[in-house]
Amino acid sequence: MSDPVLVVGAGLAGLSAAAELARAGLPVLVVDQAQAVGGAFHRQPLQGALSLATAAQDRRWSDLMAKVAAQGSRITLALATQFGGVDHKGTALLTGRMNRLFRPRAIVLALGARESVRPRPGWTLPGVETAGSLQIRLKTLGEAPQGRVLLAGSGPLLLAVGAQLTKLGSPPVAILEAGRPFARPLTPIGLPRDYWIEAAAYLSRLMLARVPILTNTRLTAIRAEGGTLVAEASSGRRFIVDHVALHDGIRPNDFGMPACDVLPVVRLGDCREALGARAAMVDGQMGGAALAARLLGRTAPSADPELARQTRAQARLARIYAHDVTAELNNLPEDTVICRCEARTLKDLRTLGPTPTARQLRLDGRFAMGACQGRFCGDWIARLTSAETSKPGIGAPRWPARPIAVADLLSATDETEGETQ
Amino acid sequence: MSAETHYDVIIAGAGIVGASVAWHLAASGARVAVIDAIGPAAAASGASDGAVSVASKKPGPLARLASASLLYTRELASQGVLAGAFHARPSFVFGQGEAELAALDALVAKLRAISGPVHVTGDGPAAQLACLGPGVERLITLNGEGHMPGHKAVRAYLSAPGITPIWPAPIHGFDIDDRGVTVHLADRRLRTGHLVSALGTATTELFPTLPIMPRAGQLFVTDRGAPGLLPGSLTAAAYLVAKTEAPDVLPLPPVVIDPLTTGQFLIGSSRENHADPNRVDFSTLRRLMERSVRALPLLAERRVIRAFAGIRAAVSDSLPIIGNLPGETRVTLATGFEGDGICLSALVGREIARMVHGLPPTDSIAADLATLSPARFVDARQEAWG
Amino acid sequence: MTGTIFWNGTAIPFRTGESVATALLRAGIISFGAAHTGQARAVFCGIGLCQGCLVRADGRLTEACLLAARDGLHLSPEAAGGQDV
Repeated sequence: MSDPVLVVGAGLAGLSAAAELARAGLPVLVVDQAQAVGGAFHRQPLQGALSLATAAQDRRWSDLMAKVAAQGSRITLALATQFGGVDHKGTALLTGRMNRLFRPRAIVLALGARESVRPRPGWTLPGVETAGSLQIRLKTLGEAPQGRVLLAGSGPLLLAVGAQLTKLGSPPVAILEAGRPFARPLTPIGLPRDYWIEAAAYLSRLMLARVPILTNTRLTAIRAEGGTLVAEASSGRRFIVDHVALHDGIRPNDFGMPACDVLPVVRLGDCREALGARAAMVDGQMGGAALAARLLGRTAPSADPELARQTRAQARLARIYAHDVTAELNNLPEDTVICRCEARTLKDLRTLGPTPTARQLRLDGRFAMGACQGRFCGDWIARLTSAETSKPGIGAPRWPARPIAVADLLSATDETEGETQ
Repeated sequence: MSAETHYDVIIAGAGIVGASVAWHLAASGARVAVIDAIGPAAAASGASDGAVSVASKKPGPLARLASASLLYTRELASQGVLAGAFHARPSFVFGQGEAELAALDALVAKLRAISGPVHVTGDGPAAQLACLGPGVERLITLNGEGHMPGHKAVRAYLSAPGITPIWPAPIHGFDIDDRGVTVHLADRRLRTGHLVSALGTATTELFPTLPIMPRAGQLFVTDRGAPGLLPGSLTAAAYLVAKTEAPDVLPLPPVVIDPLTTGQFLIGSSRENHADPNRVDFSTLRRLMERSVRALPLLAERRVIRAFAGIRAAVSDSLPIIGNLPGETRVTLATGFEGDGICLSALVGREIARMVHGLPPTDSIAADLATLSPARFVDARQEAWG
Repeated sequence: MTGTIFWNGTAIPFRTGESVATALLRAGIISFGAAHTGQARAVFCGIGLCQGCLVRADGRLTEACLLAARDGLHLSPEAAGGQDV
C-alpha cells in the first residue's frame, strides 16, 4: 500500500486538489482543523442552521463535493485534525481527532488566507475580532451575535460581512472603510462581471438597510467603557457598540510553514497567493493535477488562463482600495500593542533602535516570541523597523507549524517506527 | 591608506566571548571595535539555555577553569557589570538506572576534587523537589551555579563606553604586517594593533585549518505557565556523559530542562554534526519529551511553540581554543567552546585582555589555560600559515 | 442535537458541531479570562493562528476556536491554574 498524499485544508483549493490527485490514482488524506468542510469561503452551517450561501455558491460547492465523492475510498477526510508540521526527514505530525506521526508521499498546503489586521489602540480588547472570524461564525451558526456591530478597516470583505449581518437581521451600525473605493469610478470597470454582481448584491442589501458606509475613514482607537466598546473614527465620530470586527486585507496563510527537501510540499489556493475563492478552486485543480503528474512521472498539464484573469482582477481590487497604511502606522500612539501574545508595544519596539537585528527583536524585544510566533505582528514589525530587519527576520521558517501539545506529541501513533531512513 | 579607521583592538564576533573580551579591553582604556556578520548574540550565544554550569564540564582543566570563571562571573555581577544578566540559582542533576547513577557518583567526585564554588547540597530520592516524577531515581542538588542568558550578557557587556559596534559586516580576510593588522570588510578596511577572533563556528572562514566543526543541538521552547515551578535547571546524567565523553555512550535521552523567567521551559538537547539551525525532527522531540515528562510531569500540560537547533562550535579534541596564534602576537583566538562559552566567557575575556596587553595569564589558572592554546594544532598551523 | 459544556463550572449549552468559542460567545462570554502575560483572552482570528482564545480543557491549553464542544467538557481560563471548578 502506498503512502497517501497529505492535503491540509478542506476548502476549495484543498478538495479540488484532492479530487485531481485521487483521479490520477493516488491515495489522499485530507485533514482540516475545523469540524466542517468548506474552508473560510464555503464553511458549512451546523445542521438546521440558516445557510448564507447563494444558489450559485451552493452549486459550486455541491459540484466539488460530488467530484470528491466520486473518488470513493481513495480520499480519506479527517476533520478536527491539525497539521503540526513536517520535519527534515519527511515525518508529518497530525494532532486532534487523527493523531499520528507518518511519512506522506507529498504534502499539499491549502490553508487558505489569513487576515491582515493593522494594530490599533484597543485591538486586543475582548469583543474585538477579525471580520473573517465573525464571518465564519455567521456561516456556521446562521445567526448574528447579540448587540451592535461595527465593521472597520479596508477591503471588500467588510461589505460582505456587513451584508451577511444584514441578511441575518442585525445590520452593522456602520462600515468604516479607510480607502476610497467609490472615488475612482473608472477603475472597477475592468473587473470581471461576477465581481460586479457580488458587489451589487452586498451594496444593495446594505443600502436598503441604511447602513452607513463611511469611506476615507479610519478607526483610530477602541476603548472599553461600562461593558461596551467605544470606537473613535478619524472623522471625529464615536460609535458605542458591543462588537468590533477589523479587517485590513488578506495574505497567504503559509507563515512559518516549514520547508522539506525529502518530499514535495506545494502550496495551493490562497495559501500560495491570496486571490480569492474563484482562483482557489482553479489553483487547487491545476496544482493537484500537476502534483499528480510529478509523482507519477507524467507530463504536467498546461496552465489554466482563468488564474491570470483572477490575478489581474485582484490587482485591480487592490488599486480600488489603496490607501496610505504607512501613515496610519506612523501615527500610532507609543503605547499601542504590536505583539498581541506578549503585549509588546510600539514603544518597546522603538527602544531597540532604528535597525534591530532579528535576534535583537526576538531576544531583547520579545517580539514574535509568544505563542503565535509573529503570525500577527511580523508584517507590522517589518514595516515599522528598517527594511534590513525584515529580511532574515521575524518571518523566517518557524517550526513547528503551530503550537503542539506535549500530550498530543506523546500520544500520536508512530507509523515511522522501524522504517530505515 | 592613511584614511583607514584605526582601533587599538578589533574583536571579530559579537557573541558572549567577543563581548566579554571587548568589555575587558574597553575597561582598560583601549579603543575597541566589535565586528559581526549579523549582529549581537546572533549564533550560539543567542540560542543557548544560559546555564553557567561547572557540573557539565569535562573533568580536569576545563572544569577548573569553569569553576574560576563562575567565581569571577559572580564578582562581575556584584559590581553591576552583569546585573540583570546573571542570577544565582540552584541546579539539579538526575539519573535513573545503573549507568546514570554511576555518572552521578563521578559528578560528585569531580566537584569534590575541584573544591570550588559549586557544592552538593542534596543527594537522594526525587522527593527533594515536589514537582518531580517517577523518571527521577536519584537527584543531586547543586548550589552555587547560575543562569545567564547569552543575549542579556552580550547586551550588558557591549553597552560599555569605548566599544564601537560594526554590523552587519562579514569579515572577508585580514593581513598582518609589522605594525598591525588590516581587517577587510566588503566596503572598507580597518586597521588595528590587535585582532581577537571569537567567531565560533565561523572561525574556519578566517582560519580554515583549525579543526572546528558545527555541532547542532535541538532546542524546544514551551508556552508560558505559572513561573517558579522548577527553581533551577534539571539535567539528566546522560546529558553530562554525552557532553563530557561522547554522544550515545548512554542509551537514555540527554535531557536538559531549563526554566525561563517567563514561566516557559527550554528543553534540549541533542548533539548532531551539522550547521542547520532549522533542522529539527519529531523523533528527537518525542524522545526528549518522553523523558522530560517522566522527570517533570507538569510538562504534559504544556505546548511546544518553537523548535530550533543551536549550533555549537566544537573542536576535534572537545576543548576550546584560547590563546595567541602561534608565532603571531597580534592575533588571538577564543573559540570552540561547544556550549561552554556562557560559563567561561567572563574568565576568557579577562585573560584575553591580558594577552592583548602583553601580560602573563593570572597565576592560579595559567597552567590550565596553557592546555587550551592553539599551539596544540601546530601541524595544522604549518599547513595553513607556514 | 445539543449538549452542555461547563465554563468555570457554569453550564453552557452547545449545538453539535460547534466550537467551544462559538458556544461561549453565544452565551455572552466574550472574555475567556487572562493569560499568564496578563493579556485578556478572547476570540480574535477565529482560525487558530493568533492564540488569543486559549482556554484550559482537560488540563491543557487549547484554542477555543478549534476545540470541538462535547458534552460534559469542563473549561477554565488559562491563568487560573487548576483544571475545573
